[in-house]
Amino acid sequence: MERYTLKNLAAMLLSKDISSQEILEMYMQRISDYDKSLNCYITLNKDDAFEKSIQADRLIESGNTLSLTGIPYAGKDIFCTQGIKTTCGSKMLENFIPPYDATVISNLSNQGAILMGKTNMDEFAMGSSNETSYFGPAHNPWDLARSPGGSSGGSAVAVAAGLAPISLGTDTGGSIRQPAAFTGITGLKPSYGRCSRYGMVAFASSLDQAGILALTAEDAAILLESLAGFDPLDSTSVETDVPKYSQSLDASIEGKTVGIPKEFFDEGLDSESEKVFFNAIKIYESLGVQFQDISLPHLSLSVPTYYVVAPAECSSNLARYDGIRYGYRHDETDDLDNFYLTNRQIGFGAEVKRRIITGTYVLSTGYYDAYYLKAQKVRQLISEDFKQAFKSVDAIMGPTTQTPAFKIGEKIDDPVTMYMNDIYTISANLAGLPAISHPCGFVQSLPFGLQIIAPHFAEGELLNLTHLFQQKTDWHQKQPPDLKKV
Amino acid sequence: MSIKKTDIAYISSLSKLKIEDIEIDNFTRQISDILEMIQQLEKVDTDGIEPMAHPLNMKQRLRMDEVTEENQRDLYQENAVEVEQGFYKVPKVID
Amino acid sequence: MEWEVVIGLEIHAQLSCKSKIFSGSSTNFGAEQNTQASLIDLGYPGVLPVLNQEVVVMAIKFGLAVNAQISERSIFARKNYFYPDLPKGYQISQYELPIVFNGSLEIQDQKGAQKKIGITRAHLEEDAGKSIHDKFKKTTAIDLNRAGTPLLEIVSEPELSSPEEARAYMQKIHQIVKYLEICDGNMQEGSFRCDANVSLKPKNAIKLGTRTEIKNLNSFKFVEKAIAYEMARQEELLNGGKVIVQETRLYDSNIDETRAMRTKEEENDYRYFPDPDLLPLEIDQSMIKEIRSQLPEFFEEKVQRYVNDFGIKENDAAKIANTIEIARYFEEVISVFDSNNQLVASWILTELLSAMNRNDLTVDQLGVSPKSFAKLLQRITDGTISGKIAKEVFISMIHEKKDVDDIIQSQGLEQISDERDIVPIIVEVLDSFPDQLEEYLDGKEKILDFFVGQVMQRTQGRANPSLVNEILKKTIKNN
Repeated sequence: MERYTLKNLAAMLLSKDISSQEILEMYMQRISDYDKSLNCYITLNKDDAFEKSIQADRLIESGNTLSLTGIPYAGKDIFCTQGIKTTCGSKMLENFIPPYDATVISNLSNQGAILMGKTNMDEFAMGSSNETSYFGPAHNPWDLARSPGGSSGGSAVAVAAGLAPISLGTDTGGSIRQPAAFTGITGLKPSYGRCSRYGMVAFASSLDQAGILALTAEDAAILLESLAGFDPLDSTSVETDVPKYSQSLDASIEGKTVGIPKEFFDEGLDSESEKVFFNAIKIYESLGVQFQDISLPHLSLSVPTYYVVAPAECSSNLARYDGIRYGYRHDETDDLDNFYLTNRQIGFGAEVKRRIITGTYVLSTGYYDAYYLKAQKVRQLISEDFKQAFKSVDAIMGPTTQTPAFKIGEKIDDPVTMYMNDIYTISANLAGLPAISHPCGFVQSLPFGLQIIAPHFAEGELLNLTHLFQQKTDWHQKQPPDLKKV
Repeated sequence: MSIKKTDIAYISSLSKLKIEDIEIDNFTRQISDILEMIQQLEKVDTDGIEPMAHPLNMKQRLRMDEVTEENQRDLYQENAVEVEQGFYKVPKVID
Repeated sequence: MEWEVVIGLEIHAQLSCKSKIFSGSSTNFGAEQNTQASLIDLGYPGVLPVLNQEVVVMAIKFGLAVNAQISERSIFARKNYFYPDLPKGYQISQYELPIVFNGSLEIQDQKGAQKKIGITRAHLEEDAGKSIHDKFKKTTAIDLNRAGTPLLEIVSEPELSSPEEARAYMQKIHQIVKYLEICDGNMQEGSFRCDANVSLKPKNAIKLGTRTEIKNLNSFKFVEKAIAYEMARQEELLNGGKVIVQETRLYDSNIDETRAMRTKEEENDYRYFPDPDLLPLEIDQSMIKEIRSQLPEFFEEKVQRYVNDFGIKENDAAKIANTIEIARYFEEVISVFDSNNQLVASWILTELLSAMNRNDLTVDQLGVSPKSFAKLLQRITDGTISGKIAKEVFISMIHEKKDVDDIIQSQGLEQISDERDIVPIIVEVLDSFPDQLEEYLDGKEKILDFFVGQVMQRTQGRANPSLVNEILKKTIKNN
């Protein structure tokens, strides 16, 4: 299999070694051959994509290109795409066709990128395995019996298996980083407020952020330049300039300080994983990075905090799904109460219901102070831990997950065990910090990821560190075994 | 912390969700497990700590008072199953 | 048992901005269903709210007008409940930290004394859409044009002690929002709605009784009547040893009764929490200062100014200043005709207002410009026409939209003020009624009015009545 980076493709287009149409044909062929066994795409945007590739080729011919002209990508099915079905992995939106584009989607199309299709995901982004999708699980190309992680499972698989050069995902508690780690690719969650949330179907509004799944940090940097930016339609969007991330990738990291939180090694991480992680640390050391032990004292509370805040926000965000203006609507219901109950009963899956119930509960009278308010206070403490840590270090590193990819079906019946998957990733969302996961080795012959967390709006730092690591190692170039055509 | 089935029933009705009888036991157990995990928050002393509603210390931006939207009813109602004369329709409500 | 009533009013004033509070949709009244509902108003997946600056300015204006505190930092919260005309399944409102709090205003209580009524808070929120139950047979029709319209919810302290006080308070708030031009106060169109919370307690008791809420009262009269009915209803129940059920009720003006609403809205736990899509609203002192400097003159100040500068009676000044449109009209008339301010005031309070009421029109709709009105009064003052004739001319001005002088000329309405024209008619009248003349000479002074009336009849009312009076007396004396 040949996997092409965005950088490769851009160079080939520029030198006219290949046309945009040919690139698209190649990916569409691979999708046709392999997606049955991977199930990473829900909807393909074939006709429109081909039309756009023809237009792109014309522009390339005349020399009027933008930064992403002719480059195809896949988008998690949580981003509203005008005229293209957007399901959020749910029966509730099975036939929903948005009349508008999410801002990040228009940002990319304004730079000439071509959307190939919408990728599979955990329903409404709730899950860590892509098993809660109404459209069936996505499969990890490294072992088809294993989960690729979630909720941006489909986006990760598409890139890892060469069914897209790069894809968009969202990360609320680790939903980009964990699948990136499980599938051996690079996943970036920018700072909260860096990318617009307008048009990105909301799960937990104060935690959600759009991000990138790519083969390299360099690719992520190139895409981020177009993806990020202030949006007047999003009150939580930040008005700071978008740096040219791709131009600071090679800056020296000599003397950079990185903290490794001791709480990441309390329990749950097995010795093989720990070894792989520390070998990767040695690489960073050889690049001039100086490590120190740090403490994030409230880290163990990040999962309970998240599982109060995220369900609370989602219980409210999902109240709009009632079948009245859009979405699943059952044919025969005579009274209004049953109308709501039936539409939502049939439209939503079990995990979504669990989170709505949990969220409603923690906001209800008598429990608001003990749960929701309390969690928001602990969130402040977690945030303070990071602020404190960043006084002495430039970045924080740790494993992205405690284990490599688990088997499909292994954890789905036990929500709490599933939730613990996010233990390393969640705190960055709670604090709104940017974080990246990149491949750093293999555990039990499966990809294993290293996570870096940086201060607010220091995405450049993350990309710089990762890029130099990727210049010195080849974990990110390791490909899953060849897939069989089905 | 155990949650009772009656609590689940009440919360479900608040959030307009129906948990089928065959699912209710499993569901109650799962929610109880989740709530037990959340209980860990009780251990922490949060006296004097401000709740954090947003990860960034920002204030609300204001937009100018101008009409920027135009009528696109037909386009928007393409996604609605039951529409008549431009109205959305629901089973009758008695007031 | 002697019962005291405790009343609190919650008033929802639709702010008269061009666009909605969180979206750029128009707020025009009467548009065809769902033509002013954007994706944000419809609660589509992925949409987000952005706050309209003008609503903040308007809320601050209100806060300043009622001497309230303006929050330096206020929070938007979600009020979660399900209803078909609430697209997101939650209403964006304010809960713990409203933009305005701790204000007050004064009304006149039943004894005519000034009474201060506290205003607990005023907060910003979005309106829901409309549910129309009688459009279709088996379904309810939903129109979301109104969804997202900005509202200022004004909550009084439970310090109103009678239906009359409630009415006075509501009228005062109405006047204030109209003066400030933040709300058009049109109750028929639903831009000014009132809910009343009513409870009874034993006289002088501290503990409040169970209250009921009467929703959607859309006239001053109905507020007063609904509360009066509810008071009586509760009193009867309590005196019979029964308990008041805390519930929401509606007022039926056709039968003058309140009845319980059948929906279960009040059972809802709204689960308020800060809206994560909106950030804290921060208002600094310079913004407040700027807005304060732009506030219009308030009612009390206007009355004083009318009395001091224009010399009209305080009672009349208060009546004129009560409605901002009338006040403006008055001032414009005076600006072109200032030789008889009291005449202007009287004519506005009698002829103008009754013409408006008769025809059910606003002063603008009546179509008589202040300049024309001034001209008419000028013609009375300069003796061209009598006051009585002027009333007819005024009616012609309203219906025919012609100039004052044109009407006077074309209808030949000029007052007859020349003695030489009047004397012959007087002589004729006196000759025609010798018996009455005798009675007059005998001392029945009132007969003079009869003669005057006869002269007026013969001149189609155009003779100058005081002149007629004078000449009559002279003529009789000389003969």
